Amino acid sequence: MDIPQDNSIISPQTFPYMVAAFASLVGLALIINILRGNYGVPDGDAPGDPFTPLNLRTMVIVSTAIALHVILLEIAGYIVAAIACFWGVAYGFGSRKPLKDLGISTVFALIVYFAFTQGLNINLPSGFFEGILSNGK
Amino acid sequence: MANNFAMLLDGFQTAFTPTNLMFGLLGTFLGTLVGVLPGIGPALAIGLLLPITMTVNPTSALIMFAAIYYGAMYGGSTTSILLNTPGESGSVITALEGNKMAKAGRAGAALATAAIGSFVAGTIATLLLAFGAPAMAELALTIQPAGYLALIILAFATVGTLLGSSRIRGLVALSVGLVIGLIGADLQSGALRLTFGNLNAIDGIETVTVIVAIFALGEALYLASRHTLVPAQVLEIRGKAWMTKADFQRSWKPWLRGTAIGFPLGVVPAGGSEVPTFLSYGVEKALSKNKSEFGKGAIEGVAGPEAANNANAAGVLVPMLALGLPTSATAAVVLVAFQSFNIQPGPMLFQTNPEIVWGLIASLFIGNFLLLVLNLPLIRFWVLLLKIPSHYLYAGITTFALLGAYALNNSTFDLQVALAIGLLGFLFRRFGVPITPLIIGVILGPLAELYFKRALQISQGDWNILIAGGFPKVIYGLLFLVIIGPLVWNFKKKFAVKK
Repeated sequence: MDIPQDNSIISPQTFPYMVAAFASLVGLALIINILRGNYGVPDGDAPGDPFTPLNLRTMVIVSTAIALHVILLEIAGYIVAAIACFWGVAYGFGSRKPLKDLGISTVFALIVYFAFTQGLNINLPSGFFEGILSNGK
Repeated sequence: MANNFAMLLDGFQTAFTPTNLMFGLLGTFLGTLVGVLPGIGPALAIGLLLPITMTVNPTSALIMFAAIYYGAMYGGSTTSILLNTPGESGSVITALEGNKMAKAGRAGAALATAAIGSFVAGTIATLLLAFGAPAMAELALTIQPAGYLALIILAFATVGTLLGSSRIRGLVALSVGLVIGLIGADLQSGALRLTFGNLNAIDGIETVTVIVAIFALGEALYLASRHTLVPAQVLEIRGKAWMTKADFQRSWKPWLRGTAIGFPLGVVPAGGSEVPTFLSYGVEKALSKNKSEFGKGAIEGVAGPEAANNANAAGVLVPMLALGLPTSATAAVVLVAFQSFNIQPGPMLFQTNPEIVWGLIASLFIGNFLLLVLNLPLIRFWVLLLKIPSHYLYAGITTFALLGAYALNNSTFDLQVALAIGLLGFLFRRFGVPITPLIIGVILGPLAELYFKRALQISQGDWNILIAGGFPKVIYGLLFLVIIGPLVWNFKKKFAVKK
């Protein structure tokens, strides 16, 4: 790391080294803890509860929906990104009414978009709709 | 004392202006809303609303945030009682007896004792806050940087070890938080730390991004991962949400005892509302004349913990306002809200921003009253909210959380960070690692470094200053007890079992 010349008494590296030492110590303790058979249980489950198997499919759908939002936001604008995310998460959580969901996603995205851009004056990427929705701002 | 009273009256004048009253009302409404909805708590709600600090004046915004904080406590109990899924962490205990009462057709009495108990506890605790916080601030003026560092380390230890089922995992969460807090340019030298050449990371990782990502995205991913498609059952309320004279007679002592337990445990860093609510439940169970009812729906088991929960919320605000040290996730976000107005809570706050801080405290009294008036009559409306299908609920929370993360800086880098931290939050939830220590690490880590450096600058690099004087020694003594106490306790228990 580049350390700029300065005449302060404490190097910017001192505190991070202390954090690193602490993290290593705790990490070591965690490894020992796990090797002794304490794998950690989700909050709300008792230590002896049967392990709920992961539903990887829904997890992948939900994380994809979130990632899609991140990607679409600056390419296609907030509204499209929000519709994609809302619809995707709803699908991931087991909703099987694609058209109804699309309607709800659109209404949700529009309300949020206008509440933030018009009501709170917070800029959001308008994407495709530039000029149509931005009221000539 | 008399001076504080005059200041409090001034605060009421501030809080009673139409604008502030409106923001207070909006806050109580939103707070109850997020408290009722499972999956979204006060920390997340305030985090999502932080962008309003760009357009709303500080007093109104902070009044609203405080109202959200109190409102969520009320709302959380409704969900616990009717759905058996706690709306937020302080209501976990309420679900034990409250849900049993609802199943036995006594939902109305459970809701009433929770709401009235919250009001009683909240009012007493806010009064203690109004006089305790300025007193603490006065004492704190004499604390040196080394003393502050000691206090922060004590807070790390208590928050890290008292939460969740595994102390090691709490400390793991804390160390991850500390590392995240290091990212970006060092405040004094400007040296870049852990940025790995990414220009976006120079300003560091926003605390709000961390909070929003870990609470909203982490939670959504976790619930998705164990999704079973069985809709939760909302219990009906039969009759009015009110209690009989007998209920009242059984409730008032638990309310007061809950307040006595909750408030002090908020002032000392005990890591949020889980410990006090749990303790209050234990005390009520031990003292009750109706022990056989516990586990089947004893009203004392709702009244005590709910009072403890609300008193605790007020208690947590004492060190937050007087020392600038948040000890719960929600207090951490409120601190961020103060900072986004360039106001630094701490000993000087009562002198530099009396209008804001007294307006805030006064609005807590008003909010508490509004919540009592709003909640019981509107209970059927809140129950309707519990019937929102979970897929729309989580779709809404996720989308809104991403907006909150983005709107802070209009940066997609923040969103990428949010996604990464969301996945981390999922792993934390899955393996029983508590989340609050991470947030405390992110927000207090940089503060710890600041005081550490200041102390060593005063002493010209002599590390002895860190333990010089009485105050740091007392604090490190307490730290020693916090670490050693549970170990001795465990050892004794093991020894006893072997015998």
